Amino acid sequence: MSASFERGVNSFREVMDAPIASFFSSCVHCGLCADACLFYTETGDPKYTPIYKLEPLKRLWRQEYTLLGKLASLAGLSKPITDAELAEWSELVYDSCTLCGRCTVACPVGNDITYMVRKMREGMAAAGHAPEGVIEATRKTIEQGSPMGIQLKAFLAQVKGQEEETGIEIPLDKAGVDYLVIMSSMEILGYPEYLGSLARIFKQAGLTWTVSSEAFEATNSGIQIGVSDIAREIVLRVVNAAEKLGVKYVISPECGHAFTALRWEGPNLIGRPYKFEVVHVLELLDQLRRAGKLKTVGKTDEPLTLHDPCQIVRRGGVVAEPRNLIRMVASDFREMEDSGMYNWCCGGGGGVSANHRAEELRFTVFKRKKRQIEGTGAVTMVTACANCRNVLEEGLERYHMDTKMIGLTELVAEHLKEDEQA
Amino acid sequence: MKEQETLAEHLRRQGISRRSFLKFCVATASLLGLPPGMAPLMAETLGKVRRPSVIWLSFQECTGCTESLTRSHSPTLESLLFDFISLDYHHTLQAASGEAAERAREEAMKANYGKYLVLVDGSVPLGEGGAYSTIAGRTNLEMLEETAKGAAALIAIGTCSSYGGLPYAHPNPTGAVPVSAIVKDKPVVNVPGCPPIPLAITGVVAHYLMFGALPELDEKGRPLSIYGETIHDRCYRRPFYDQGKFAKTFDDRGARAGWCLYELGCKGPTTHNACATTKWNGGTSFPIESGHGCLGCSEPDFWDAGSFYQALSTPLSSLDKAAGVAAGAGVAAGAAIAVHNRAAKRAAKAGHQAVTVNDLEK
Repeated sequence: MSASFERGVNSFREVMDAPIASFFSSCVHCGLCADACLFYTETGDPKYTPIYKLEPLKRLWRQEYTLLGKLASLAGLSKPITDAELAEWSELVYDSCTLCGRCTVACPVGNDITYMVRKMREGMAAAGHAPEGVIEATRKTIEQGSPMGIQLKAFLAQVKGQEEETGIEIPLDKAGVDYLVIMSSMEILGYPEYLGSLARIFKQAGLTWTVSSEAFEATNSGIQIGVSDIAREIVLRVVNAAEKLGVKYVISPECGHAFTALRWEGPNLIGRPYKFEVVHVLELLDQLRRAGKLKTVGKTDEPLTLHDPCQIVRRGGVVAEPRNLIRMVASDFREMEDSGMYNWCCGGGGGVSANHRAEELRFTVFKRKKRQIEGTGAVTMVTACANCRNVLEEGLERYHMDTKMIGLTELVAEHLKEDEQA
Repeated sequence: MKEQETLAEHLRRQGISRRSFLKFCVATASLLGLPPGMAPLMAETLGKVRRPSVIWLSFQECTGCTESLTRSHSPTLESLLFDFISLDYHHTLQAASGEAAERAREEAMKANYGKYLVLVDGSVPLGEGGAYSTIAGRTNLEMLEETAKGAAALIAIGTCSSYGGLPYAHPNPTGAVPVSAIVKDKPVVNVPGCPPIPLAITGVVAHYLMFGALPELDEKGRPLSIYGETIHDRCYRRPFYDQGKFAKTFDDRGARAGWCLYELGCKGPTTHNACATTKWNGGTSFPIESGHGCLGCSEPDFWDAGSFYQALSTPLSSLDKAAGVAAGAGVAAGAAIAVHNRAAKRAAKAGHQAVTVNDLEK
């Protein structure tokens, strides 16, 4: 079997549901989503209007699921969608959409455009129009366990390294503990301090936790490429490992779409509720802070700003937590213009950072973030998503900016009160 | 009053200054939506006109419309303008009675055939051969048809003559109809309201005198300039509506704070009239300023539009049979389409081939 136009169209028919029908029929063509989209505002090209990215799906819906549309296609007034069209739309659906969800919050009639792009990708992938880079990441996840090709060996080496760095033992495959920690491959590869930071924070707070040799990877390429069959398989790895260990919570790491995959899409993909709860690491840290179990000393007086990761903040609802935590350790926190729910994407979410052909476009739209950062005058930018961080670091380098970057968990751990460790 | 006297001469004789007359012309011009520069021209033109003959027919009515014009604003320029027209026949106002009165009407018709204006208040009953309302032994229908024949135009004053009004309300025992249902071959201007704003009546007359033609009308036969906008659009409480601040009873906090009366049944949003701008009682106020919602008196069927205290958004009555059948058919069609669409989706699901990493390329 291989990808084909027919399979793609069949997928379009499959994903058509009540929300999509009501979204398409309630669109008033106001165009407000265009001004909400990074790719439109930074290029001025109307083809990047979010709702336009769904045009083939919309046409199929009208032709096959509405009475007038059926009559119009019978009368030959409406052309059927073609494979060439889908090929043309591949750029719009994959390169110029990071599933950031800003169009969704801007839509005056409440259409979840992001949801529809995610659904449309099902058909695009089945028709063979997913970009090469994203296909490659997905293949590596399925065949090797991680989109960046990181294998267990490499993960265990980083665990060992962090144990040596912190002098704290990191439990592996320990059943019956409360928390399971998983990581994104970007963290394993580039920012392993995240794990060491957690080890120190958890020691201070007295939490029982473990990492797993069967599920250390939190990311889910199946969500980004838009193939539920693959996304389900990837999510099940974490679900099976967590349920086998009998943990009460799985901690979603500093990774945007990993949270979306595990927290929101996962139970729907596997068709049942989990036997554990998913908590985002920022939610957990803020809970500890409120319970008085997170104790820090001193505050950095460096001007510092926050890049809100779309999937965690806008799509995930974790808005106040990062701010509470930053204020705990920083005296000069400066919000960006359009922060929180209305923050602008780094430009590399939703699979775009894995998609090589989108690279130039990604740097073009980074100009928005550049303006935002410059507007704050901050010297350090905090974020809570390793993918955002990597994309931002590349953007900063491209535009010769010397803004420093740090993960929020790491920032908190830097100020941890050492003598309070239990 | 001498026959050949002009309006200007007449007003001067009444002790009305030119300045007051100009003010009236400015108000009338603005009500009619004419450019400000038209006011002096209007004064000049109106000042020169000679008394046109007017026959006022009162049918099934309550005299409120006449009250509106003559009493509530007395003595004003509006009423003086009315004095000025040669009101050759008006039950309530004329001194003559009996055969003399009817003779006056017939003479006026003969002398001004094709040129006189007919103003009508009240609806015309058609039930029982028109027996519900007769004048001088003749039915209203007969009198209207006869009088309309030689008229230049007819002006229906008030909601009864415009749309049937109270007599027309369900179950309409007298078979009442508005003027426009009977007179088809002459221009009919509706000036609805229960009663209409005095300036709306004189405005139409002034327009006719000045331009020799009737003002532009909306689809309900009303002068666009006066009835072009809703009370709601011009209401001083509109900002509260926009903020969702509504009085819930007539004596709650919202009512005292002057919040929107929409939920207390105000019909402002669907009522076209100039009350909110010209106001009543010499520009003193209009009903909403007194804390009561608009009744919608200048709209057709306002008596049958549910309780005055029922919010506009509430349905007036249960669905009648036709609506029920239509709704049923709609539901059935919707269900059929839904079943079909579900089947299409099920078929697509059944045709689903699991996508593996090897299926991502062609």
